[in-house]
Amino acid sequence: MSKVTLTIDGLDVEAEKETTILRAALDNDIYIPHLCYHPELSPSGICRLCMVNADGEVVMSCQTPVDQGMVVKTKDPEIDRLRRTSIEILVANHHASCRGCPGSGPCALQKIMAYIRIDRKRVRRLRLPEEDLPKDQSNPYFDYDPNHCVLCNICVQTCEKIQGALHVIGRGIRTQIAFYGNNADCQSCMECVARCPVGALTAKESRSTHG
Amino acid sequence: MSAKCNALVCLGTGCQSGGAEEVLSSLKEEIDRLSLGETVQVKQTGCHGFCQRGPLVVIEPEGIFYSKVSLDDVSEIAKSLLPGEPPVDRLFYREPATDTPLPHYMEIPFYSKQQRTILRNCGHIDPEEIEEYLAAGGYQTIKKVLLGMSREEVIDEIKRSGLRGLGGAGFPTGRKWEVCYKAQGPKKYVICNGDEGDPGAFQDRSVMEGTPHSVLEGMMIAAYAIGAQQGYIYVRAEYPLAVKRLRIAISQAKQKGFLGKDILGSGFDFKIALFQGAGAFVCGEETALIASVEGFRGMPRLRPPFPAESGMEGKPTIIDNVKTLASIPVIIDQGAESFARVGTEKSKGTVVFALTGKVENNGLIEVPMGMTLREIIFDIGGGIPDGKTFKAVQTGGPSGGCLPESALDMPVDFDSLKAAGSMMGSGGLVVMDEDTCMVDLARYFLDFTQRESCGQCTPCRLGTKQLFDILNDITKGQGRPEDIDLLLEISEAVSTHSLCALGKTAPNPVITTIRYFRDEYEAHINEKRCPTGVCGMLET
Ligand SMILES: Cc1cc2nc3c(=O)[nH]c(=O)nc-3n(C[C@H](O)[C@H](O)[C@H](O)COP(=O)(O)O)c2cc1C
Ligand code: SF4
Ligand code: SF4
Ligand code: SF4
Ligand code: FES
Ligand code: FES
Repeated sequence: MSKVTLTIDGLDVEAEKETTILRAALDNDIYIPHLCYHPELSPSGICRLCMVNADGEVVMSCQTPVDQGMVVKTKDPEIDRLRRTSIEILVANHHASCRGCPGSGPCALQKIMAYIRIDRKRVRRLRLPEEDLPKDQSNPYFDYDPNHCVLCNICVQTCEKIQGALHVIGRGIRTQIAFYGNNADCQSCMECVARCPVGALTAKESRSTHG
Repeated sequence: MSAKCNALVCLGTGCQSGGAEEVLSSLKEEIDRLSLGETVQVKQTGCHGFCQRGPLVVIEPEGIFYSKVSLDDVSEIAKSLLPGEPPVDRLFYREPATDTPLPHYMEIPFYSKQQRTILRNCGHIDPEEIEEYLAAGGYQTIKKVLLGMSREEVIDEIKRSGLRGLGGAGFPTGRKWEVCYKAQGPKKYVICNGDEGDPGAFQDRSVMEGTPHSVLEGMMIAAYAIGAQQGYIYVRAEYPLAVKRLRIAISQAKQKGFLGKDILGSGFDFKIALFQGAGAFVCGEETALIASVEGFRGMPRLRPPFPAESGMEGKPTIIDNVKTLASIPVIIDQGAESFARVGTEKSKGTVVFALTGKVENNGLIEVPMGMTLREIIFDIGGGIPDGKTFKAVQTGGPSGGCLPESALDMPVDFDSLKAAGSMMGSGGLVVMDEDTCMVDLARYFLDFTQRESCGQCTPCRLGTKQLFDILNDITKGQGRPEDIDLLLEISEAVSTHSLCALGKTAPNPVITTIRYFRDEYEAHINEKRCPTGVCGMLET
């Protein structure tokens, strides 16, 4: 495959022609906030956080291919302003504090909050959810906590190729991941848990996992 | 009454709910009883648009228009059809202001200002009889196309006509077809989008019920142009009459050799299947619709690729609205130039609106692009009832914007509506009077969109919910001083970053009510007062 050269934040970067901007950036240790991207999966483009400025236009970096001579800026005031609002909405709806969260540490949302320097005062302008949603503990190997879930769809896409045991149900604010009583299908491979970017899918403590 | 005439009984969904079926059968019996069978033909038709006045009976060729016909009126109508008998004047439509009786269809302002092109057959032919469609010139254009036009010529004709999609986005139809025509692959599809999920909308339903063959003919021409062999009509399962009439139409078209193999000896093969969607509002979005036909959860997909390049099963697919497809035979028949003579510079032809809300005449109307909102609401619609004043009009369905009095003289087309903060959508037009609270109205629409969001992408799923929650607080007197700016900020994020047009357009009602009626927001927030008194709990 042929290579192209582009600049990201002033840095010359070489990338394969079909690569997306996001992948090219991450490969070169340039971080762009993202939740629904996973290197092994085709881009679903649903978290809508990975925007950058490419040749003067704001685009989603996970679905935009690189181009020879392209000039990409991962930060600018417009991007920061628009992205900040989306992230604040996400955080406001995240019924949880990071303290004691099983996802804490490698959590992708924590990383994003740190990256944009989240301002809790601004988040408090928003309306916070009234109540915690019940956890789904029906799977024998792991639990699902909808309060932590960012609906990145990574687990569903992952399992689609394995067993198809995970599904999206509901609409609007009630959208959730569900097992649909398909727990018997689950192979306990724990791939979904491993890939969950936040602390929404967690292994049951008492069980040993397959890693 | 004249020697030979037709008594047309509207059997659209609206008139049926008012008892039109009984009127039809009883009128048939009466005509038989009076031995008028030779001279009077009693027929069913699709919707005339004036459902509010239904059940309707029209006597042609005179065009005598009887409204609100009940079973008790039937014998009198039948008698009036005897030679030399006068019409039944007590059933005439009367102008509300002056009480003047207007016996004829075309004297009634609701109809006289319309230009019925897409709806030309609705209310005039029996939609369950292909012979009537043929007699009205139907299936002439598919003949013309198959026997005398190249695929490129058809696409060129549609491009030159300037037709833009009537399902929402107003994308130029000919350009879309051209992309699909150029896309590689032996297998292609044409899909007719008859989902019509906007609450209260009935434009597409009326076309499918009133002139189903026009839709089929449009699909055939599209299929020929792009090279498709299979078509689907996606129609809501909640539209049983449309489903029934489309089924009948498809089977009749097959019998006559307009569908199937080697159509009209041209070598062109094409089949049409019905797909009944029981899906959500979002299933009308083209990529979600395709997902749902494929058997997946109806969720929008990333574009590009656009369906015209990679749609159904990854094959090039044209997806067009019911009204767009029903316009195609008109263009082929009249020619692109003649079609393009109607309308504005960038929006050609006519547009069908479902005129509803606080307006004297509710119903389905068709007008040339570029007519002003004032003409639509006050001339065709007859103005605001009960001596109230006009406050706002919302166009384009639940994601449309609310436009104030100052927009009334704007010529209506795709671009002017967009510039004003609203949209054409699929042709909803809801009129609001002085009693409407604009904050409450925005809350109502956002309640709909936040529930109908497919939940896939962050800005739409969570942003519309935030907008709704904030609007809800404001109507309860719990608004905060920073809320107006916050609403605008969230609206911008949702409309710029959502994945599909549901999210991209959902903030329109919020943005426009703030733009045009900001003082109402301020009264709610700062004075805890609802100027119209709709949000009653505020006054303390
Ligand atoms: C949420 C949503 C709902 C839609 N619903 C419909 C619908 O019911 N009917 C329709 O024709 N188009 C609908 N559309 C527009 C379609 O995506 C598509 O643009 C249209 O069918 C294309 O046909 P046209 O070019 O003839 O307008 C909807 C779009 C969105 C975003
Ligand atoms: S553990 Fe493996 S099989 Fe079970 S749901 Fe997760 S990904 Fe699917
Ligand atoms: S459970 Fe985890 S991986 Fe699955 S959608 Fe939620 S956040 Fe994403
Ligand atoms: S904008 Fe809304 S409806 Fe469209 S894909 Fe995103 S969540 Fe779904
Ligand atoms: S990473 Fe691009 S939209 Fe989620
Ligand atoms: S259903 Fe009869 S006029 Fe609409």
